[in-house]
Amino acid sequence: MEIIFSKIWQVPFGALSLRLDPLSVLFLTAITILFFCAGIYSMGYLRPYQGKKPLVWHVFCYLFLAMMFGVVVTANNVILFLSAWELMSIATYFLIIFHDETPSVRRAGFLYLMATHCGTFCLFLMFFLMAHTAGSMNFDVMAHASFSPVVAGTIFSLALIGFGVKAGFLPFHIWLPHAHPAAPSHISAVLSGVAIKTGIYGICRVLWIMGVLPEWCGYALLLIGVVSGLMGVLYALGQHELKKLLAYHSIENIGIIAIGLGIGMLGRTYHLAFVSALGFAGALLHVLNHALFKGLLFLGAGSVIQKTHTGDLDRLGGLAKIMPYTSVLFLVGALSICGLPLFNGFISEFVIFYGLFQGLLTLPLQGVFSCGVGIVSLALMGALALACFAKVYGTIFLGKPRRTGDSALFQEKERNRALSPVLREATSKWMIVAMAVLAGLCAWIGLAPRNAVRLTFAGGEYLSRGVLMKEDFEKLMAPLSMIIGTVFIFMAVIAVLVLVRKVLLGKGSMPIQDTWACGFAQVSPKFQYTSSSFARPIVELMKKILMFSRQGGKVVGEFPVQAHMISAVKDASEEGMFRPLYIRFIRLSRKLDERRNKYTQMYLMYIFLFLIFLLIWKLR
Amino acid sequence: MISLTFYILLHWLIVLAGAPLFLGVIPRVKAVISGRRGPSVFQPYYDLARLFQKKTVYSRTTTWLFRAAPIVALASVLMVSLVVPFCVFKAPIQFTGDILLVAYLLALARFFMIIAALDTGYSMEGMGASREAFFSCLSELTLFMNFITLALLAHNISLSRMIGADIPVSWQMAGPALLMAAGSLFVVLLAENCRLPVDDPDTHLELTMIHEVMILEHGGVDLAYMHYAAGIKMFIFAAILVPILLPWQTGNVLQNWAIFCGGMMGLALLVGVVESTMARFRLNRVKHFLLISFALAFFGFIVALWRI
Amino acid sequence: MTIWIDAACILVVFFSLSILAAYRIGGMIQMFAVQSLVLSFMPVLMHSHALSLRDILLSLGTMVLKAVLVPYILFWAIRHVSMRSEVKPIIGIGSSIVCGALLIAGSFWVSSSVTFPGKIASDLVIPCSLATVLLGFMIMVTRTRAVTQVVGYLVMENGIFLFALSLFDAMPILIEMGILLDIFAAVFIMAIVVNHINEEFERSPAAVKRWSKMGESI
Repeated sequence: MEIIFSKIWQVPFGALSLRLDPLSVLFLTAITILFFCAGIYSMGYLRPYQGKKPLVWHVFCYLFLAMMFGVVVTANNVILFLSAWELMSIATYFLIIFHDETPSVRRAGFLYLMATHCGTFCLFLMFFLMAHTAGSMNFDVMAHASFSPVVAGTIFSLALIGFGVKAGFLPFHIWLPHAHPAAPSHISAVLSGVAIKTGIYGICRVLWIMGVLPEWCGYALLLIGVVSGLMGVLYALGQHELKKLLAYHSIENIGIIAIGLGIGMLGRTYHLAFVSALGFAGALLHVLNHALFKGLLFLGAGSVIQKTHTGDLDRLGGLAKIMPYTSVLFLVGALSICGLPLFNGFISEFVIFYGLFQGLLTLPLQGVFSCGVGIVSLALMGALALACFAKVYGTIFLGKPRRTGDSALFQEKERNRALSPVLREATSKWMIVAMAVLAGLCAWIGLAPRNAVRLTFAGGEYLSRGVLMKEDFEKLMAPLSMIIGTVFIFMAVIAVLVLVRKVLLGKGSMPIQDTWACGFAQVSPKFQYTSSSFARPIVELMKKILMFSRQGGKVVGEFPVQAHMISAVKDASEEGMFRPLYIRFIRLSRKLDERRNKYTQMYLMYIFLFLIFLLIWKLR
Repeated sequence: MISLTFYILLHWLIVLAGAPLFLGVIPRVKAVISGRRGPSVFQPYYDLARLFQKKTVYSRTTTWLFRAAPIVALASVLMVSLVVPFCVFKAPIQFTGDILLVAYLLALARFFMIIAALDTGYSMEGMGASREAFFSCLSELTLFMNFITLALLAHNISLSRMIGADIPVSWQMAGPALLMAAGSLFVVLLAENCRLPVDDPDTHLELTMIHEVMILEHGGVDLAYMHYAAGIKMFIFAAILVPILLPWQTGNVLQNWAIFCGGMMGLALLVGVVESTMARFRLNRVKHFLLISFALAFFGFIVALWRI
Repeated sequence: MTIWIDAACILVVFFSLSILAAYRIGGMIQMFAVQSLVLSFMPVLMHSHALSLRDILLSLGTMVLKAVLVPYILFWAIRHVSMRSEVKPIIGIGSSIVCGALLIAGSFWVSSSVTFPGKIASDLVIPCSLATVLLGFMIMVTRTRAVTQVVGYLVMENGIFLFALSLFDAMPILIEMGILLDIFAAVFIMAIVVNHINEEFERSPAAVKRWSKMGESI
């Protein structure tokens, strides 16, 4: 089940020890697929930058990052893990600041660097505590150690913060919506698809090492999942910027994964191996699926931005006619992320739901209540994600372009109307191929999930540390195969309905007219619902939590002339928690700075005293 | 295999034949209450037949998604109908967790309807789409809360079992919970199918409509598909609600069937009565109405937990 | 008979929730009347196996006083005061409903640890009465108008009444009648007071503005 490769490494406490177990295999699969596809995509995407940007350095960082990801998810030694973890963070930083001429990009990169180091600080503490208790720096030895509940609880809390920063748990997610949009699209895809999953991997690894955790840990993770998921999708609904919206959706999906892990932990605490395996397997499957569809969506967003030079949803529209391939592939991604049948999102959400319902029927009372809350919030997340992606898809690809600047683009469309789709699209074929591969994988897992589910179920079983029978896997596969059967009947029904429609409509083309505007003659594309107006009812309901603000928009006079309206949703944890903290901190530092002694010798003396202290402490 | 195909086709036959009748009873009831004679209960059949014969006009803004939406919507609800038992006709497709398939297939239909509405590029359809997306979030909450209550009571997560043979026992054990589940499911039925306190299916004042305004641009066969899908959806919700409210099972097949059909008619009657006695809520009150139904469902869940 | 008692209990809680969600004062009073009507059947339902004159009297008394007279007085008050008909909530109606649902869950959670001496007609009576009291309290806390305060107080009292009914056998009828009369007098006085204060218990104009702004925003 697990392979360990071990070599001596001349680093204190370090060992060049790599392990391959179901958990690593799963994450490695996601990493390989996504890095491969994003790499192909970048061959088209980076072409305009040839000669203008140091692409060799970029490619080096990219490949180096891929390698470091591989090491992180296979490391079997704390030192090796942390080294790879840090190198990974730094390589990511260089990839994010690709457009380093823009100040906001530099700021986002710096924020990322800060956040990830704060997280790593907690990881140092955590691994120190772990290694101290277990007496070894190797994961497989640690796994046999026993931890007292207090130590286990502390380690788990530190892991939640340390890895949570990377994964984007609320409220430690604030770097994420800045860094992901700042990076070039193939890097955003990798960041969102796999980089934040290394946080999830870390938590999984800790869960695996700590066989027994206090009861509250499962509930805590479930709660974090519910909060991150709901807030993530609500923030996403309020966004106007495409890539920022997708970044918030990553937080939502991380929340879904955390719910799966939480129910898995509850199952493990109460010795319900099947519930536990379902929860973990669902979470892991969602890790894989999210890598696929979020990668696809970010790549699609990249194509849109490359074509139109904007990611502002309120300015886009009608792109389905200009970019037929991208629009279809993006639709696949949108359907997958909403967890709709036919695609992979449904399969993983089904497994998590199944785990939650199974928990509902078998756990003790407080567990039942938590599962109920989990189910309802997962359902709400699904409905909100659907609203959000209907909005995204509707405003980008459908309708008419919303800004007048796009009319040039549309004249181009009119000219190209006679041309074949390939010429019209004019997106590099590498980019389309990369997206098509991801979309194909989404459909493959959606329609033939057996292999993927087996892979993740093995991972779930491995994490649950319980004994599962072969029947348990079949108990999961039975409903899944029924779903697949239903989906095939569904497609047959669609075919029949298409045929019926064809027959009823008969031959000959249908008349084409303008949209019926209820008798209104002068229709302008500005009449269309924008993304902000589409999301308004939901955002207004939650306006306190979302810090929703609206300026202007009041129509005055009998013959109103012009009115502007700006609405924005602010991140409560950024505005309400970290910014005040930061301001206090700056103020404190200023104060300290004023009092500071301005002699260098003083500092040398501090170092000297500390050295003496260390010598006495260690050598006495 | 062949028998399964037969059962599936039989199920579809019931749905396709029954749904327009269900829809036809409601306006008749409303008419009788307001002292008119009203249209024949078979009017929806005539309407559908008329629409099926018509050609359609397409907007030049629209894409293939606009044409695909009615097909996906109808196909989705047809698939959902296979999971729901109609009294003596057992559901052809039943497995652990099929309620999720019900919810997500309906969501698929909704997704396509919303993007088809946005595809027209006009504010009216966008308005309907936005409202539909909003209200369905709230009614989905209630729906899942009720699924949880029913699953707890039946100790199973297959729809056929949840509203099947265990219901009489559940009434004995946790009657109040079931009562509240039924009440909030009725609200979901009204909201999801755009009936009166939430949405007015009869007016053609675009500002007040949700469902009707979304499909404003569809015509001919497409519109017929949309109407059929809406009718079947309502029929399905009613078929889920009736076995909860009328749990009696006699040994006789015919009697059971009569109870079921009577229940369906009674429900249509109830919807008609509600529609003729209630005014449409102001749009910003609808969310409170839906939230109350959620609170009711949640209360049901608590009582179910209390009693178990 | 238990099913009827259960149904009445949950209806009482449901109507409290609806009163919390109402946005018109008239609607609040109507719903209070219906709640009291449901409640007035409780004495008869609880002692249906051995019905005595006392039960019927108590039922009738409750019905007449709470379901007819008190709402009538309140309606009279709001008609004469000519105040605007909207409820002015401090926290919005949507949030009120969610908080109300949580309060219901909380009261079930709390009463799961209460052991009650003696026999109760149904295990739902105690949590439901507790929930009604809490919801009534919440109405008083989060609604600013004078009449809404009265209604909140009455809902709270209904919860106490429901609780007291389970102690029915230990209580002489005179006390019950006395309580009912007290309430009647209280409401009567309040109606007169309301008539004189006209608008509401407001402290300073600025505070009112702030409160009502908060209410409208949710």
